[in-house]
Amino acid sequence: MQHLILALSPTSVPGTVLTNTVLVGCVALLHVLFATFLIGSCTLVALSEGISMVTHDERHERLARTLVHAWGYIFSTGAAIAIFFVIFVLVGVWGRFFVTFQQFTFWVWFFESLTFVGEIVLLYTLYANWERMRAYRLARLGMVLLLNIDQWFQMFFIDVIASQMLTPTVQGATDNTSYLLQFLNPTNLPLTVHRTIGNIAWAGAVVTAVAAYQYLRVTRREEATALVPGRRAPVRALGAMPEGELVRERNREAAYWDWAGQWGMLFAFGFTIVQIWVGYSYAKEIQLHSLDSWYQMMYGWISNIFLAQFAGLGLIFIFGVAYFWRRLKAASQHLAARRQQIALILLILLWLFGIQPAWFAGSYPDIVAAHLAKPFWDGGLEDPLGFFFPWKVMVLIADMLIALYALWSYVRARVRTPMTMGQASRGSQRLLIAMAVVVGLMMLIMGIIRESSRSPYLVNQNITISHQVILQQPAPNIPLSQRPIGP
Amino acid sequence: MSDRLVGTEVPGTSASDSNGAAPPEEKGDFIGLVPEPVVGPFRRSWAWFDDRTGTTGLLHKGLYEAVPRQGGWAYTLGSATLVVIVVQFFTGIFLLLDYVPSVTQAYSSLLYLRTNDLFGDWMRGIHLWGAYILMLLIGAHALRTFISASYKKPRELNWMSGVMLFFLVLAMAITGAMLPWDQASYWTAVVVTNIPHYLPVIGNGVRTLWRGGDFVGQVTLTRTFALHVWVLPALLLGLIGGHLYLLRRHGEFGSWVNYRTTTDNPGREIAERVRHAEPPYPTRGADPQYSVPSDTVDFFPDQLFKDTLVSLVLVVFIFVMGIISGAPLDAPANPATLTYVPTPEWFYLPLDQLLVFFPTVLVGFGVFVIVGIGATLMLMLPFIDRNPERHPIRRPDVLIPAFFLIGTVIYLAMLGVNRLYNL
Amino acid sequence: MSMGRISRRQFMVRGTGAMAGLITAMLSVPAVGFLLSPLWAATKEIWVDVQGGPIDDIPEGLPTARIAAVPLGSGPPEPAVNRVVYVTKYQGKLYAFSNICTHMQCDVHWEPSLDLFECPCHGGLYAITGRNVGGPPPQPLPQWVHRVHTGADGKQYLQVANRLEEQI
Repeated sequence: MQHLILALSPTSVPGTVLTNTVLVGCVALLHVLFATFLIGSCTLVALSEGISMVTHDERHERLARTLVHAWGYIFSTGAAIAIFFVIFVLVGVWGRFFVTFQQFTFWVWFFESLTFVGEIVLLYTLYANWERMRAYRLARLGMVLLLNIDQWFQMFFIDVIASQMLTPTVQGATDNTSYLLQFLNPTNLPLTVHRTIGNIAWAGAVVTAVAAYQYLRVTRREEATALVPGRRAPVRALGAMPEGELVRERNREAAYWDWAGQWGMLFAFGFTIVQIWVGYSYAKEIQLHSLDSWYQMMYGWISNIFLAQFAGLGLIFIFGVAYFWRRLKAASQHLAARRQQIALILLILLWLFGIQPAWFAGSYPDIVAAHLAKPFWDGGLEDPLGFFFPWKVMVLIADMLIALYALWSYVRARVRTPMTMGQASRGSQRLLIAMAVVVGLMMLIMGIIRESSRSPYLVNQNITISHQVILQQPAPNIPLSQRPIGP
Repeated sequence: MSDRLVGTEVPGTSASDSNGAAPPEEKGDFIGLVPEPVVGPFRRSWAWFDDRTGTTGLLHKGLYEAVPRQGGWAYTLGSATLVVIVVQFFTGIFLLLDYVPSVTQAYSSLLYLRTNDLFGDWMRGIHLWGAYILMLLIGAHALRTFISASYKKPRELNWMSGVMLFFLVLAMAITGAMLPWDQASYWTAVVVTNIPHYLPVIGNGVRTLWRGGDFVGQVTLTRTFALHVWVLPALLLGLIGGHLYLLRRHGEFGSWVNYRTTTDNPGREIAERVRHAEPPYPTRGADPQYSVPSDTVDFFPDQLFKDTLVSLVLVVFIFVMGIISGAPLDAPANPATLTYVPTPEWFYLPLDQLLVFFPTVLVGFGVFVIVGIGATLMLMLPFIDRNPERHPIRRPDVLIPAFFLIGTVIYLAMLGVNRLYNL
Repeated sequence: MSMGRISRRQFMVRGTGAMAGLITAMLSVPAVGFLLSPLWAATKEIWVDVQGGPIDDIPEGLPTARIAAVPLGSGPPEPAVNRVVYVTKYQGKLYAFSNICTHMQCDVHWEPSLDLFECPCHGGLYAITGRNVGGPPPQPLPQWVHRVHTGADGKQYLQVANRLEEQI
């Protein structure tokens, strides 16, 4: 049957099903990196600018300005990728799916494209006129807020599409299901909240990574000049300045990048904490409304990738709390640093406990089929301590609470005792970069998991990947009543 | 002095005498009240009554107290909460005139109320919508108090009594929902009385006590009725009294907006304010900077006008919704149903969603530990936030976690709606 | 040390305290007893018939809902309450499930499309043997204490008592 279907497939589409899927995946993930950063940074700009208007802190103003200037390049690139992605790749290799799907999500795409118009108008205006509008800060902030709303809706409409693919409430072009039902399909809300939080976390991570990199770059020159006395390091960006002035400039820059790195990091870390249980709520909705997808993710071969996600999550917290610890220790706040140290040790222990797999095989159905679904000390291939419920859930709860406490303790210490910026160790900055890299990786891997768990369907129970070819076997036919569905 | 006494404009005496007392040997032995000849039967009757009770003095003390001028509209939330609670008591009395707390007669008594009493259904509708609005109001009032840092020294007990009131109102809402004995109410009773059994050690005992056995039955209804009609209201009234007394003792309202200084010499400005402070200021125990508001007006009529206006709008809203939407009455309670989907009230959706997320062995953890931590943090807030700063932007260590907590609760409720909509 | 004379004032202070304590204690005894009485109230075991006729015709593997008017057996007299008995025959065994979910005691129903008992409140799932296989319920679906007796017509009739086999 499968050979017959393959034989009937049109030959004009380039590539095989597998390569096309990989191509779509790569372009989509690249798009995600840009789009997510844009939407998240918009919120960060609003916050930063708002704070600078109240506290008159010029660092916030500078951060907002830097981000807005970056928008010009990032949006252009990101939009080009999105357009390329949609027009050439999706229509080109998954044309049947795209055209069919569009027929019953037409208006969603329509409003989505309207938000792009709004974004172009607002974003480029802000980009070109940020400095010119400095006398009208309130109006400027208002525009940023408008842009925020516009971009949130942009994400919202694409979430309607994405959640319709996972938990469809509309069954086809002739289905007269109301738009409200399309929008309120079971996974739309958790997905939207998940992505809203994730956008801000990723934007914060990018800010912290760039700031950390800049800090390392700026302070490297200092080291270079210190090693070779009398030799002036090339300072292209700062121009030719007298030595003393150079040092002051460098210190100012170092202080700013240090502060920016910490600022961005608070968002990346804090919002990742929230992501744990928002993500859990999302997985719960998938479990309730799309059991096969959930089963593939938690018990199928994708569960191995999910385990890598779990490890990544723990690493984010470990890097973050390590950063808190180093900074507080360097600032001689020993009591606060001790608290962070304890939190760090606990997080590492929890991580080591949490990354153990629940079965020593490719997937759970494999060991069921081989009659080895029992603990390894009974001769099977299971590890009961590795099961998601209740062990990993408890690890996640503990992670959340400890990370929350660490974050709160750090913010409190900073509020109480001002810390001198610009004195951070290079190691602490490397921790920031590592944390940001893990955040980005997790985002990409999450995309892979999401899309793969739905296979072979593009729209669950409805449209398969183009040409109706089954890419892989769906979850094996273990009857529902005998599956270890679990809580 | 803003002390205006009824009919006591005595020519020749100075009105700025600070305690209003006239020299005794000249004017008689009434303190604060000059016995000028009172004419007219009404005035004489009132004077007779007032001599014996001291009502006028009390009223004046209450009405002409100084309150801060700024922020008055935000401060109306507290009195609005009180007004809606009074509405609840009021409509509750009328419901009591008809309702029978019996498993066989509760439902039919409410049907009787609906069909036979003029405005009976409207009364029930007002009672329900009053409850809904009360939840929102008490949340808004708590939020305002939190943001304005009005819980800081010396008003910690004010906050804590307020939090206890919040829990009591929640308890009132849920016990009230268990009374009509229609499908919704019966299944609410089953689920809510089942929650305590997840407590360790005492859980089963608490459930048995409340239910009067293993299953929900007549004893459950009677006990819940007693809780709703007098046990909880007695506690509520007592705490409200304490809450209001503390409010008056320390002076309204403690928010940072009222203590801003405008001159270059804030120390002197504050000292001036303290010197000219009217009762109840300066607030004993507060930092000097936060002991006297920059500008005050009389409670009556300035603040009371705002309070009354907001209360009027809310009462009108409740009345209108009481007629349009009313209070539903499902089919009579049927434990043998196979199709009914028990749905919690909207203010219990967050807890219901926690029940979805913390299954099997973690139920007790989710329901008691997580909620308990949240409730404890809320109660102990004045001791967690000892930062003397009151401006929100200088309290990020409290504000940010609080907003995440509130966001979490709202998100849980939204998830609940999402789940129920997609059943 | 000899007991010194206490003053009149001290006597009155202590005496008031002692008498107040005595009043409180006196009031507490019946109050506490009254409040806690349901804890040790005995539930009378009462057997009732499951309505709907004999259970011979109930097919294998298909839980069938029947009604039984189960009295509470404790508390003031009140009418017996209709409760569901899911009569199930599976692999040679007879089950008389109640439809009380072990999570929050919502009403469970058999969902043929899933081949499972389903609880609408929080998505709890039970297998046909009652085992809790999905969602939040921590225990298997409870059965009524039940017995079968053969009627005059030779057919099997089911009776349930007013208690569950396991406390949930």
